[in-house]
Amino acid sequence: MIAEKKGLLLEIQRFSTDDGPGIRTTVFMKGCPLACRWCHNPESISPLPQVQWLGVGCLLCGECVAVCRHEAIAIEARRVVIKRASCAGCGECADNCPSAALKISGSWWGVEELSYELQKDRAYFLTSGGGVTVSGGEAGIQHEFVARLLAHLAKQGIHTAIDTSGHCSETALAALVAHARLVLFDLKMRDTAKHRMFVGQGNERILNNARFLANKAAQSAGDLTLWIRSPIIPGATDDEENIRALGAFIATELEGIPQRWELCAFNNLCRDKYGRLGLQWEYHDTELVPQSKMESLAAVARSSGVDPAIVFWSGPVAQK
Amino acid sequence: MVAPEGLTESLTAFMLDASRQQPAPFSPRITWLRDYYFQGASRRWNNEFTCWSTGAPWDVQFNEMTYYIVPETYPLLQALRGSFRQAARNVPLDEGFWQWSLPERRAWFVKEVMVNRVPQEILPGDLLAGARFNLQTSLCLTATEQKEFDELLLGKRGARRLVKWFHDHGYGNAGATSGHIIPDHQRVLTLGWRGIHEEIAQRYNELTVFEKEGERGAQLRAMLIAASLPRELAFRYATLCEELAAGEDWPRQTELLTMANNLRRIADEPPRDFWEALQALWLNHMLVMSDENYPGPGVSFGRIDQYLLPYWRASINAGMEREFGKEILRCFWMHCNTAYDAMIRNGNQGITAGFGQLLTLSGLGRDGRDATNELTYVFLEVIAEMYPILEPKPNVRIHRNSPAELMDKIVEMTLAAQGAPFILNFDERSLAGMLLQAQKAQLEKLITEESVYDYAPVGCLENTMVGNDRSGTVDNNINLYKAVELALTGGYDLHPFTDPITGKTEKVRRDGPATGAAESFTTFEDFFRAYEQQTAYIISKCVEVQNASESLRARFFPTPYLSCLIRGCATKALDVTRGGAEINFTTMEAVTYATTVDSLLAIRYLVFVKKLCSLPALVLALRANWCGYEKLRAQAVNKAPKYGRDDDGADALAKRVMEVWCAETWKHQTTPTKRQFRPGMLSWNYWAGDGFVLPASPDGRARGQFLSNAICPVNGADLNGPTANANSVGKVLGGKTTNGVANFAGFVNCLPNGASHTMTFNPSLLGQQGHKEKFKAFLRGYAENGGSALQINILDPAMLKEAQKHPEDYRHLLVRITGYNAYFVTVGKELQDEVIQRLSHREV
Repeated sequence: MIAEKKGLLLEIQRFSTDDGPGIRTTVFMKGCPLACRWCHNPESISPLPQVQWLGVGCLLCGECVAVCRHEAIAIEARRVVIKRASCAGCGECADNCPSAALKISGSWWGVEELSYELQKDRAYFLTSGGGVTVSGGEAGIQHEFVARLLAHLAKQGIHTAIDTSGHCSETALAALVAHARLVLFDLKMRDTAKHRMFVGQGNERILNNARFLANKAAQSAGDLTLWIRSPIIPGATDDEENIRALGAFIATELEGIPQRWELCAFNNLCRDKYGRLGLQWEYHDTELVPQSKMESLAAVARSSGVDPAIVFWSGPVAQK
Repeated sequence: MVAPEGLTESLTAFMLDASRQQPAPFSPRITWLRDYYFQGASRRWNNEFTCWSTGAPWDVQFNEMTYYIVPETYPLLQALRGSFRQAARNVPLDEGFWQWSLPERRAWFVKEVMVNRVPQEILPGDLLAGARFNLQTSLCLTATEQKEFDELLLGKRGARRLVKWFHDHGYGNAGATSGHIIPDHQRVLTLGWRGIHEEIAQRYNELTVFEKEGERGAQLRAMLIAASLPRELAFRYATLCEELAAGEDWPRQTELLTMANNLRRIADEPPRDFWEALQALWLNHMLVMSDENYPGPGVSFGRIDQYLLPYWRASINAGMEREFGKEILRCFWMHCNTAYDAMIRNGNQGITAGFGQLLTLSGLGRDGRDATNELTYVFLEVIAEMYPILEPKPNVRIHRNSPAELMDKIVEMTLAAQGAPFILNFDERSLAGMLLQAQKAQLEKLITEESVYDYAPVGCLENTMVGNDRSGTVDNNINLYKAVELALTGGYDLHPFTDPITGKTEKVRRDGPATGAAESFTTFEDFFRAYEQQTAYIISKCVEVQNASESLRARFFPTPYLSCLIRGCATKALDVTRGGAEINFTTMEAVTYATTVDSLLAIRYLVFVKKLCSLPALVLALRANWCGYEKLRAQAVNKAPKYGRDDDGADALAKRVMEVWCAETWKHQTTPTKRQFRPGMLSWNYWAGDGFVLPASPDGRARGQFLSNAICPVNGADLNGPTANANSVGKVLGGKTTNGVANFAGFVNCLPNGASHTMTFNPSLLGQQGHKEKFKAFLRGYAENGGSALQINILDPAMLKEAQKHPEDYRHLLVRITGYNAYFVTVGKELQDEVIQRLSHREV
C-alpha cells in the first residue's frame, strides 16, 4: 500500500469564532500562490516549513547553532539570525531549542490523525452549529489532501468549510467543495490591473471561480453555501468604487447567491511576524480603518445591488 | 432593645437629600443599607463577635480547630484565644448548669446569650429582623473537661502541633471545620418550630429510661432547648418591631407592624407567605452561625428558588408587588453580608473574604426535567442589581436542557459583570459524582436516582446532598505534589524546615516510606510506583491530622441547634459533630493537581524519554531552585508535555494520577466518627500561599511561584484554548462511559465533591451579539465535555497589564482583535497597549 500524501499545516486553531458559523477549529494550510502586499499571515505563503526566532525566553544557549547541519543559523548581537538562503527548514534547531524561542512553522499531518485531532471539539460543534474550516495559505494548493480530509470529516458528520482566495484551478476548487458545506471566498478587488498590482496576479481566475461556485451553490439545493469576504485595506481596496463594483459583481454575475458578504477591516496584528521572518512590511505604520469608514463602506455595499441584509463588517477599527 | 441610636434620623436625612439627586438604581432603603454597610469599620452598628463566658477561671471561648484550614491564622491562635477570653463578659448561670451534660450546657448558653444578652436591633428601613449573630461563646467545659481538651489540643502530640507540622512541611492542612452544610430549611419552613420541637420531644419520649439518662437523652434534651431558641428570639424581635413602630409614621410603621406579625407567626408556626418565609429562613440560618460560633463559611441555603417558590406564589397571588418581593430579598442580601463583620476591626472583610453562604438556582428537578421557575429569574435580577457584593454567593445549576432564556440571562450577566457573578454547576457531571459516592459508601437508599437531583453545593462549589449531609468539604487539603518531592528523595523533605519565628532549623529526617534514592530508578514505572507509595503515605498522614481535631470536636464541641436542622440527628439522637447526619463524609480536597501531573510528565520526558538529564541531576536542580540549571528548566517548561492541552498522552498520565489519589482517599474513614473520606478538588487560596512552602518542582516551577489551582491546568499551560482546557478536565474526571461504572446519563465523575475550574476570557472575545451565541454554545459544550463547576473570569484592562508584565502566566489568554483571535502575549507590546487602551474606553 502506498502511503497517502500528507498535508503541510501551518497551524490548527481551536475555538475559532470568526471563520464561519458556530465554534470552529480552523486548519491553516501552508503555501499561497498570491502575494498580497498586506498579507496578514506571511508565514503561510511559503509551501515549505520555515523557522522563526520569536525571541521569547531565548537563553542564547547556542544549541540551535550547534545542531544546524546547514550552517544556516548564528547568534549575532544577542539575537539568533536565520540565513534564509541556506536554511532547509528541517526544524532541528527548533526541536533542540530548550525554550520557545525558535519555532518551526509547518508540520506534516496524515488525514486520519488530523481528522482525529479536529474532532476533539465535536461537542462544541454540535452545540454551536460549528465545525471545521480549512484555510490557508491557500487550501487549493494542497487540494488533494484537503479534499480527502474534508471527505473524512463529512463522513463523520462534521460541518466543513473552506476559506479560499479563489486563486486555484477549477479542478482543485471542485475537489475542495465536493465535501464542503460552506465556502468563504475572498473577493478583494474588481479592477484587474489594480488586483495585479496589489496581489501579484490578475483576478480573472478568481472571478471565474466565484461564478463557478455560485453556480454550484445554486444547484446544490442548500448543501453548499457561499460567503464572500472582502478585506478593506487602506489605499488598496477601501475606495467606494471598488466596493460598488464588487457589489455589482455579487448581485449580477453571482446572481445574489452568496448569503453573506463581510467587509473585513485591515488589521496590523502581524507586524511582528514580518520582522521575525526577516521581511519588511509596507503596511507597518498603516493606521487602522476608522469605524466611521467601515460603516460608510458597509452602507455603500448595501446600496450596491446586493440584498442589504447580507452585508456585515468586522475587524479592528481605530477608536476616535 | 432599641434601634441603634441616631440611625433613623440619618436615614430620614438621606431620603430628603436623595429626592434632589438623580434617581438611584435602588430604593432609598436599599441605597442607605448598602452605603451604610460599605462604611465598614466606621459604622456605629456592626455585627462583630461578642464574647461570653461562664465566668469559670478556666473558661475558653475560641474553637481554634475550625481555623486549622487557614494556615495564616496559626501564629495568631494563641493570641485570639487570649483576647476573646479577655473580651468575654460573664453570663450568670442557671444553678443547675454544671450538673447538665455538655450539649445541654452549650444549648442553654447559646440560647441565653442570643435571647437575653446580645442586643436585638433593626436597621432603619430593614424589612427583616435578626441582626447580631456573631458570637464567641464559652465552650462550657468543666475544669476537668477543659484540662483534658487542652492537653489533647496543645500537648506535644496535640492537634495544634500536628497541623502546624503538616503545613510547615508542605503537606497541606486539615481540621474539623464548621459550616459547609445545607440545613434542611425546607422541612423547618414546612413544619415550623413547633413541629420540629414536637418531633424531637416524641423521639425523646421513645427512649428507654436508661437511654434518657445517657448521652442520647442528653443530646435530645439539648436539641429541645436549642429548638426553642428561634421561637424566643422571634418574640423578642417582634416586641422590638412594635416598640419601634410606635415612634414611626406610615409607611414605616406598617412595615414594622407587619414584621412583628411575621415574627409572631413564624416563632411557632410555618410561614404562609414570602415575607414570613424569608424572615424565618434568615433567623434559622443566622442562628447556625451563632451556634457554631462561625460566621458564615459554607453555611449554605441549598435550592432556594425551589423551596421558596410556594411562598412566592402565595404572595404574588395575594397581591404582593413583584418589586416588593425583590426589596425583601435585597434586605436578605444585606443581612448575609454582615457575616463579615465578625472581625471587622481586622479590615473591612474581617480576616478572610472567603465566606460562602451559597444559594443554588435552577437545575434538574426530581422528574428529570428542568426546574427553572419565575423565582429563579427574580433571584438572578437581584444578583445582577446587587453586584458587586460578596454575599450570598450564587451557584446556578445548568444542564443539557437548560432553557434558552436562562442561558441568555447567564451569558448576559457574565458579560455585563466583566466576570460571572456566580459559579456554574453542571448537573450531569455533578450527579454522576453523587451517584458514585452513593455506591462507594453504600448510601444507595439515601442518594437515589430520584433524590440525587436535590444536591446542591456548599462553600464554593462543593456538592453535597441537602438537609442531611455533612461532608466536611474543606476539612482536608492535601498537596498532592508532596508525594513527588518525597519520591524524588526517598521520603525526605528536599529542604530542612526553618521556623520563621524562632529561626531554628530542623534536622531533615525521613518521614515518608523509604522508596529508594533518585539513582535507583531505571524506568519511569519504577519511579511512578514510588510516587504511589508516597501518595498513600501523605494521605494517611492527612487522615491522622484530621482525626486529631475531629475527635476533639466530637467530644467537646456539640452544636445542638444545627443538629435540629439536619435530618438524622434527632433519629440517631446524635449531634451533627458526632456523625448524626444521615450522610457523613469528610472530603479530601486535592491541591496542586496539575503541578503534580506536569512534574511527573516532565520527569518522564526529561529523564526517561529524552534522557536530557539523570534523575539525581534533576533533584540537584530542584535543590538549587533551578539556579544554574536554566536550560533544563526551559526544557521542563517548554518541551515537556502538559496537562490541559487535550493531549491524550499527557491526559492519560493525568488520569492515572487522579485514580491513584482517589483510590487512596476512599480507603479511609475518620476514627472517632467513622466518616468516609471522599475526593474533591478545591484549592481556596492554598495554591498561592503554599507555593512558598513547597520547593521547586520538575515542571519548571521555582519556589514561590504559584501552584496549580484545583483542577485547572498550570497557569499558562493550556495553550490550545478553552475547549482543549475543558476537554482535559472532563477526561480526567472520567469522561463518559457505556460500561457499568456509576454514572449519570453516561457521564462519569470520580470527584463527588466536584472540582473547581476557572477559565479566563477577554470581554472583547465575547462582546458581539453573534459571539454571545457562541459563548452560550461553549457553555453547552462544556456541559458535555467539561467538569462539574466553572468560574468564568472576564479579564479587564488592569489584568491585561499584568499579563504584559508576566507573559509566562498568561500564555493562554485569547484576545479578540476582531477578524481573528490572538494570544495576547504573542502580539507586540504596542498592539497590546492598543488593546488595553480600547478596552479601557469601552463599556462592555
